Amino acid sequence: MRLPALFRTTIFQLTLVYMALFGASVLALFTFLYWSTLGYLERQTEEIIEAEIRGLAEQAERRGLFGLADVINERARRDTERRSVYLLVDAALRPIAGNVSRWPDRLDRQGEWVDFLKAEADGGYTPIRALVLGVGPGFRLLVGRDIRELERIDEVFREASVWGLGLTMGLSLIGGLLIGFSAQRRLAQINRTTRQIIAGNLGQRVPVTGGGDEHDELAENLNAMLDQIEKLMAGLRHVGDSVAHDLRGPLTRLRTRLETLAAHPAPPREDIAECVAQADALLATFNALLRIARVESGAYRSAFAPVDVARIARDVCELYQAATDARRIELACETPAEALVVGDRELLAQALTNLLDNAVKYTPEGGRIEVRVAAKPPDRYALRIADTGPGIPAGERERMLERFARLDRARSRPGNGLGLALVKAVAEQHDGGLTLSDGRPGLVVELDVPAAETRRAGH
Amino acid sequence: MRILIIEDDKEVASFIRKGLTESGWNTDHADNGKDGLFLAATERYDALIVDRMLPVVDGLAVIRALRASHNDTPALVLSALGEVDDRVEGLKAGGDDYLVKPFAFSELLARLEALLRRSAAAGAAPATMLQVGDLKMDLLRREVQRGGRRIDLQPREFQLLEFLMRHAGQVVTRTMLLEGVWDYHFDPQTNVIDVHVSRLRSKIDRDFPSPLLHTIRGVGYRLDPAP
Repeated sequence: MRLPALFRTTIFQLTLVYMALFGASVLALFTFLYWSTLGYLERQTEEIIEAEIRGLAEQAERRGLFGLADVINERARRDTERRSVYLLVDAALRPIAGNVSRWPDRLDRQGEWVDFLKAEADGGYTPIRALVLGVGPGFRLLVGRDIRELERIDEVFREASVWGLGLTMGLSLIGGLLIGFSAQRRLAQINRTTRQIIAGNLGQRVPVTGGGDEHDELAENLNAMLDQIEKLMAGLRHVGDSVAHDLRGPLTRLRTRLETLAAHPAPPREDIAECVAQADALLATFNALLRIARVESGAYRSAFAPVDVARIARDVCELYQAATDARRIELACETPAEALVVGDRELLAQALTNLLDNAVKYTPEGGRIEVRVAAKPPDRYALRIADTGPGIPAGERERMLERFARLDRARSRPGNGLGLALVKAVAEQHDGGLTLSDGRPGLVVELDVPAAETRRAGH
Repeated sequence: MRILIIEDDKEVASFIRKGLTESGWNTDHADNGKDGLFLAATERYDALIVDRMLPVVDGLAVIRALRASHNDTPALVLSALGEVDDRVEGLKAGGDDYLVKPFAFSELLARLEALLRRSAAAGAAPATMLQVGDLKMDLLRREVQRGGRRIDLQPREFQLLEFLMRHAGQVVTRTMLLEGVWDYHFDPQTNVIDVHVSRLRSKIDRDFPSPLLHTIRGVGYRLDPAP
């Protein structure tokens, strides 16, 4: 049978452990107190008895046994409070002097110390602790004191300890249960919310009490995670919609073309080749989409390594030199000797290629493109591509970073609208930023990435 | 030419087989790593096409096993747009080239031919001179001439021509050029490579009687004295 949920909680189990530890400490404390107080009192009593018996032994030396008997009787007479006990017996245990009628027959041995009960006139018993000493030829002397008080204190102490311990355990148990209830309620709340979310209600969030404790921290982190998941899912849905929408057109066109060709008795090779080319273009778009999705999923991060973006920029510029020369566009490439960042060489190259390709595509003949890599204090590198093309209006810049986004006037030009989306995905994976701004004239795209030293230092 | 295809996806396998058979090659097929390894180890093939994701034994393990037993049959690795750093892993395991699905058959064919050419040339002394038709390239002096006339090339153009000459007679795709000349491994979806090639063409072909550099539409380029 499973214990009720409360008893299975960590809080409760911790409470039990705490109770045990606390109980043990309290026990230790009480034991110490017991020993300190009661033990002290006992030791005091015993010292008194010892001192007395020593004194009496001296008397026995000096004045002999009869003298001793006199002293004993004198002392017994003077003991009005009846605290002390004296008894001198001969070898046959016959009493000679003292205030006890006979040698106690039931003696609890304690080394030389004995504890016994003295019968009283009213029928009760008094607990006595006494020391026995041999004097003279077989004679025995017993000196003791009433330890009734001691035993009472002992009893009181024990009772107090038991009650105290019991109270402690009881209180800590109740406390533990209360704390457990409250914590359990909090966790149950979090669990309830997450179950609802799992069931499909992604918009829900875990309630945060504002107390700032670790439960709130957990709740906040869960909520942040949920925000991220919701964003990704929205992104996925959007992509799904975009893909469906934006690829339907080309696919339909391809299909129509093929249908026409199918009706043709001898379809010309060129037309078929064109269909293949169109299918290839569609495949390329799918590939680009997949690539963006994979970059966004973080799949490339585990292989990140130090990479020189200055070198990549120079390579990409050199790659496009021929294209810019052919269109009489001035391509200026300004890079430091080295600019190390942590990332993926191919992804960064592809991002820069996309950006430079856009610049070349949209810059008119005789224009100018500037590629610049520079340190951006305190700890980043900025890759900047500026062109003298028509630019992107301020209101459209955000939109252009999304998949399939294209400016209306550019729809007739070749391209699938995924170039900037890939650059954005690459920027994000590299913990970098992507900004579009007005070049007056033209467009300025800036991709900034954390430099290698800071990344290493941060981890 | 005998090629072994180790691929568990029936459609892809038959697609490749059909294409290769039409190009005049003999093909064998295994649909899992264990059978593939067995065939590759016991029969002689000129090249292997190995998919990464295979049942029983995965593609890279097959290649590693072959290399460990001194079997150097050239292997081309196929992979879905899958794990990180695929290419490096594939090459480290002993693969000779790497192609990501989906791919155009022409790309596969071009790379396969390049693989075979490379393995045939391996072991021969490194050339100091390349010649295609009347185009001569002196690798030591970094000089190019055609029909006795000296041609001035920029360093990158030289590299580009060298790559084309080393693959003379074969189709070379734009991706192969980007990899071989610029050492970047992504699909240059733009025509940036084309511009470089046409600039090269204007230097080595324009003022000469017969064209050497041919464009194969939709696939790539081929440097060949024959048309």
